[in-house]
Amino acid sequence: MPASASISASSSHHRASPDLLVRLGSTDPEVKLRALREVKNQIIGNRTKKLSFLKLGAVPAVAAALDAAQSELLVQSAAALGSFACGFDAGVRAVLDAGAFPNLISLLSYPDEKVVDAGARSLRMIYQSKLAPKYDFLQVENMEFLLSLLSSENETVTGLGASIIIHSCQTDIEQNALCHAGVLKKLINLLEGSLSQRDASLESLATIMKDNPEAASKFVSESGRALSSVIDLTKDRYPRTRMLACRCLIVMRNTSPCHLQDIGIKTKLVYLLLELLDDPGQVGEEASFVFSSLIAQKEDLQKLAFKANALDKLHNQLLNYSSHPRRFQGILLVLADLCSNLESCRSRFLSLKALKLVADALTNDNADVRAAACICLRSVSRSIKDLSAGHFTNEVIVIPLVRLLHDPCTSVQVAALGAIGNIVVDFTTHKSTFVKCGGLKLLVQLSKSMDPTMRLKALWALKNLTFLADNTCKEGILSELTTPLLSSLICDPEASVQVQALALVRNLVDGCINSVEYAFAENDIILDAIGRQLQSASKAEIGIQGMYVLSNIASGNEFHKDAVHQVGL
Amino acid sequence: MSLFWIVIRRLAEIEAMATSKKVITKEEWEKKLNDVKIRKEDMNKLVMNFLVTEGYVDAAEKFRMESGTEPDIDLATITDRMAVKKAVQCGNVEDAIEKVNDLNPEILDTNPQLFFHLQQQRLIELIRHGKVEEALEFAQEELAPRGEENQSFLEELERTVSLLAFEDVSNCPVGELLDISQRLKTASEVNAAILTSQSHEKDPKLPSLLKMLIWAQNQLDEKAAYPHINDLSTATLEDPAI
Repeated sequence: MPASASISASSSHHRASPDLLVRLGSTDPEVKLRALREVKNQIIGNRTKKLSFLKLGAVPAVAAALDAAQSELLVQSAAALGSFACGFDAGVRAVLDAGAFPNLISLLSYPDEKVVDAGARSLRMIYQSKLAPKYDFLQVENMEFLLSLLSSENETVTGLGASIIIHSCQTDIEQNALCHAGVLKKLINLLEGSLSQRDASLESLATIMKDNPEAASKFVSESGRALSSVIDLTKDRYPRTRMLACRCLIVMRNTSPCHLQDIGIKTKLVYLLLELLDDPGQVGEEASFVFSSLIAQKEDLQKLAFKANALDKLHNQLLNYSSHPRRFQGILLVLADLCSNLESCRSRFLSLKALKLVADALTNDNADVRAAACICLRSVSRSIKDLSAGHFTNEVIVIPLVRLLHDPCTSVQVAALGAIGNIVVDFTTHKSTFVKCGGLKLLVQLSKSMDPTMRLKALWALKNLTFLADNTCKEGILSELTTPLLSSLICDPEASVQVQALALVRNLVDGCINSVEYAFAENDIILDAIGRQLQSASKAEIGIQGMYVLSNIASGNEFHKDAVHQVGL
Repeated sequence: MSLFWIVIRRLAEIEAMATSKKVITKEEWEKKLNDVKIRKEDMNKLVMNFLVTEGYVDAAEKFRMESGTEPDIDLATITDRMAVKKAVQCGNVEDAIEKVNDLNPEILDTNPQLFFHLQQQRLIELIRHGKVEEALEFAQEELAPRGEENQSFLEELERTVSLLAFEDVSNCPVGELLDISQRLKTASEVNAAILTSQSHEKDPKLPSLLKMLIWAQNQLDEKAAYPHINDLSTATLEDPAI
């Protein structure tokens, strides 16, 4: 074709134009239909276009077409609205603000199957966003409607029913209501359906059974095949289905350990998930979080994972996926779970030189990754052996970690405090690195935070920093912290903070006789505060820590012993 | 399907035997083949699966009437899918995109890679027809934002735009983008995505069975001389070479 064929007038890749808005509002159905199709075809797959049409105010104009009588207009309008809402929260908000929601719902009872399909698809997009309105399952007519969706012949409509459950079922009251209304039975039927129905059903089942033993046992007793169908689906040919089936089983297991007792299924789940981690896409990403939920706080499963060479695999993943924030976060969390109890895992972790990779992650651009790296460090640094060897107190780790103490994101600060709390334990020679790079100052600052968790964690770290510290170090800590602040923390409104403050004093006055003097600085205000706390102790732990403080003080000279007597207990 | 299992079984038998190569004559081999009974329905299903997946709708319809084999998908959807595939193969990418969106608007909204490849194909077609200005505008408006979202898209975009820098595109390092095979690649990607959205497997079963047959023959070759199938289209058994 010659070059002169030049720019065709029909090319639709021009910017969102105001003219289009006029045509959307046309009274001529032909013009309107073309305009709707044009909007739809321009925005599908194209975030930039969605945004520019949104700014132009196209959403209300598109939504207005839902009042039309012609099926084709309804289909195009619903499809365009669905695309605005697809993976784009601003779009969801605009669609809801335009009042399209009830109109989309009413499309579901339309006689034309194409209209029903388009309406259901749009609603499903909306329900995939957190912004979707919460569905009230406790109203009888709503529950009936949901059941009718789940019984539909149309795959998109059953998918919508599942999306509603996944989005809106949160409390155990709602879970039980769904069970009693017979939703489990419907979902079990869908396990035999098409690919998308199976996936939707697995996800809904996990939502309904999560932390609800009653729902889990109802599911098992509902039909003899229910549980075995889910187990079969862990061998499905589609990775996403396998992942969702694993997740469903793990939710069940974590909810009521009495189901899925045998060691066979545990080992199988470990191997399945390790394999799913290899998936380069979203499935692999999700698999890490599912894996974490399988092994978190379960030493037996951590052992199985260790035997299955999980650490080597995860180490490889750390190398390959450092530029994929969500996946990177997931892998770090799995490593954290693996190293939380077992020394064998920690030593394998260190021998793989994974520590350097985690240290690098402390400066990642993504806050979730930084927090996950801290959580991972905390787990690994539980090893007394490696702490003693000083593996964690070098500048590569301590400096970025201290920087995270003034991270803009609270969850990162809290996680960093957790890691620091372990790392500063015990080993006098290494403490200077931490203090030199400003760690002490920041900990003291955070111990004045308004956030009780932050105060708690900061004091925890300070307490560990004081543990077996030499006098210079202790003096440094107290002069930074100040006696009045310490005594006010002993009387903090939060009991858990009081415990940590007392434990800090206990470490402070431990050791040589000079140390005991710290309790008597500035007119004994620390000792007075302790006395008051002990008399009104609301928690046994407060009493225990207080008594330790007193016994440490009493190990001093006569004057110190007298002072303890005068506390008057 | 049966051939595959026979070969596997033979393989197991022979493995248990001595190391010297055993010779199996055509008569012996055929006799063994005759002993294996395969259900006709299974063969028919295999054929139907192939016709449906590859989109031979007329053939599938005829085959359904003649053999009574029910397809596992609504035959009407095949026509739509083939229309999309054909549009890409002819270079009418915009038309193809509209057709996919009519079929199921979710496909391109949830599949950024496929969407990018279709837009890239559109760009290639503009360049092919010498519409330089339009191509540049299109690359800037439509493709550049996708490149910002994804590094690998950016690299592909740069490669595509570099077509504009060559006088003789048929003879340049990125010339293969203009090749018909590029259209076919994009077309088969769309075809696969539509099939997946219809909960259907994206590849027919028959080719993988043939691959398994070749693999099994290669394994068996090390142990025995037997009638080989060399021409898969006729499946003629050839006398063992001794």
